[in-house]
Amino acid sequence: MLPIFSLTLRQLSGKWRLTIMSVLALLPVAIAVLMVSFDGAPTVEEFEVAVLSSILAGAISPLVVLAIASAAFANEIEDKTLANLTLAPVPRWQIVLPKLLAAICVSGPFIAISAFLTGYFAYSADIRAALAVTGSAIIGVALYSSAFVWLGLKTTRAIGYGLLYIVLWEGFFSSFVMGVRLFSVRYYSIAWMHGFDERRFAGFDDFSFGLAVVASVVVFGGFSLLSIRRLRHMDVP
Amino acid sequence: MGALPAVDTVTTNDVAPVIRVDHVSRWFGSVVAVSDVTFDVKPGITGLLGPNGAGKTTLLRMMTGLTGTSDGTVTVFEEPVRRNPPLYGRMGVMSEHETVYGFMKGRDFVRMMGRLRGVTDEAAVDKAINFVDLADAAHRPMGTYSRGMRQRMRLAGTLVHDPEILILDEPLNGADPRQRVHFQTLLRQLAAEGRTIVLSSHILEEVEQLADTVLLIVNGKLAASGDFRAIRVALDERPYHVLVVSDSPRELAAAVVKLESVDAVNVDPDGTLVVLSRNVRDLQIELPRLAQSAAISLRRVEPLDDSLESVFGYLVER
Repeated sequence: MLPIFSLTLRQLSGKWRLTIMSVLALLPVAIAVLMVSFDGAPTVEEFEVAVLSSILAGAISPLVVLAIASAAFANEIEDKTLANLTLAPVPRWQIVLPKLLAAICVSGPFIAISAFLTGYFAYSADIRAALAVTGSAIIGVALYSSAFVWLGLKTTRAIGYGLLYIVLWEGFFSSFVMGVRLFSVRYYSIAWMHGFDERRFAGFDDFSFGLAVVASVVVFGGFSLLSIRRLRHMDVP
Repeated sequence: MGALPAVDTVTTNDVAPVIRVDHVSRWFGSVVAVSDVTFDVKPGITGLLGPNGAGKTTLLRMMTGLTGTSDGTVTVFEEPVRRNPPLYGRMGVMSEHETVYGFMKGRDFVRMMGRLRGVTDEAAVDKAINFVDLADAAHRPMGTYSRGMRQRMRLAGTLVHDPEILILDEPLNGADPRQRVHFQTLLRQLAAEGRTIVLSSHILEEVEQLADTVLLIVNGKLAASGDFRAIRVALDERPYHVLVVSDSPRELAAAVVKLESVDAVNVDPDGTLVVLSRNVRDLQIELPRLAQSAAISLRRVEPLDDSLESVFGYLVER
């Protein structure tokens, strides 16, 4: 699996892609700094809804992951090099898993640093809260990655469909339709954050930590299995 | 569709077939790319010959398992090739696409291809690179390679795990004459070692020089199969139309029609002669002699139907 992991790391680490990711990842930090610098700083709950949920978990994280994870297979399909990998005598999961891990490894650090700094500045240098924000962001990256890796295998229009999903589902519907939150990576991520630091985030859960753990496992495992199945059945260009 | 007579050498000798394509069809929506094709492939070099768009690539892709069949089966070593990763370790496949990982050094590419196929021995990487004569360029990124070098390094990546079967889609595409000769030598050497090699081409001479057996694909169907000599004999019997422009067309027509190599002569209103001949070699010798003896000046002599499509068309219509 190491050759595919190394190959994908290199493929996903293009200069322009990393530059755009860096700019995107800085946004929540800048917003957090601005919000706490002025009078009338938001409460913990207000900050969570406005920045951690809406901006970090609901917009920046999925956008960064979409740009990375959807390319894990899409680049190979577009360049017609995927056959180099699929004609190897290895089970298909040994192709999907390193690609998925590489996507997480490329986008994860950007989001993790962004989340840590955002939490650190917002919560007055409370390391535990900052780590809770970071941990939940990394889980969000893993979940989004599993979905967008599959999307990149499924369609050549992964970026378009991914943007629609981010704007409509994670952005619009999950904000205004309560039931949608049960199927929203953004809210799973927030529930993980609550679970990591109950002291700081007690009292405003949309659903329980346990449910978030189960849902996260289902989403990650489900999309990974879908990717493996897709790779097994597709006509490789 | 007709087929050439007595050219069933692919199926009648004693060696067991390595690849068996059995009543295979493949369609994409309403487009039929391959239609009810059946043949066996045995060790040696088999050439898949056909014009562009004939269905060669689709057929090769089904033989590698990259694409599924709409109907029929493809087996390799008597096992279904589709969704059978363990089988891929015995095969080396080079697609028609020349894209490479431009950032990757040639050696790293061959090493990666080897590792993916269970080869951890650096000596195998060296051997494959030396085989394609690219040791000097192995430490350069493949993005800096010429087209021919990329093809050869891709072949090294295909060979690194010492596969029993090689499936190569238009492997000589883009190679210059020197690289072409080098590539052909390599392939002959690999075949001599007992491998089964299937290669596709739309160039008649290329396949003629390389392949022991030819599968002729036209419009998604198997038009002919067997020894190339049988196909060549059929081609030699084919009537050719030759255009002749001279300063005395009517005199020349009267003389030319008496030649044994000529079947018919037609004089166009503009004075152009179209000569129908089944023996172009003799015509090539006799026509200049005739013109010289009759003091007729030949301005232009040109075959009218020498395109590959017309050759294939003739074979299919037989």
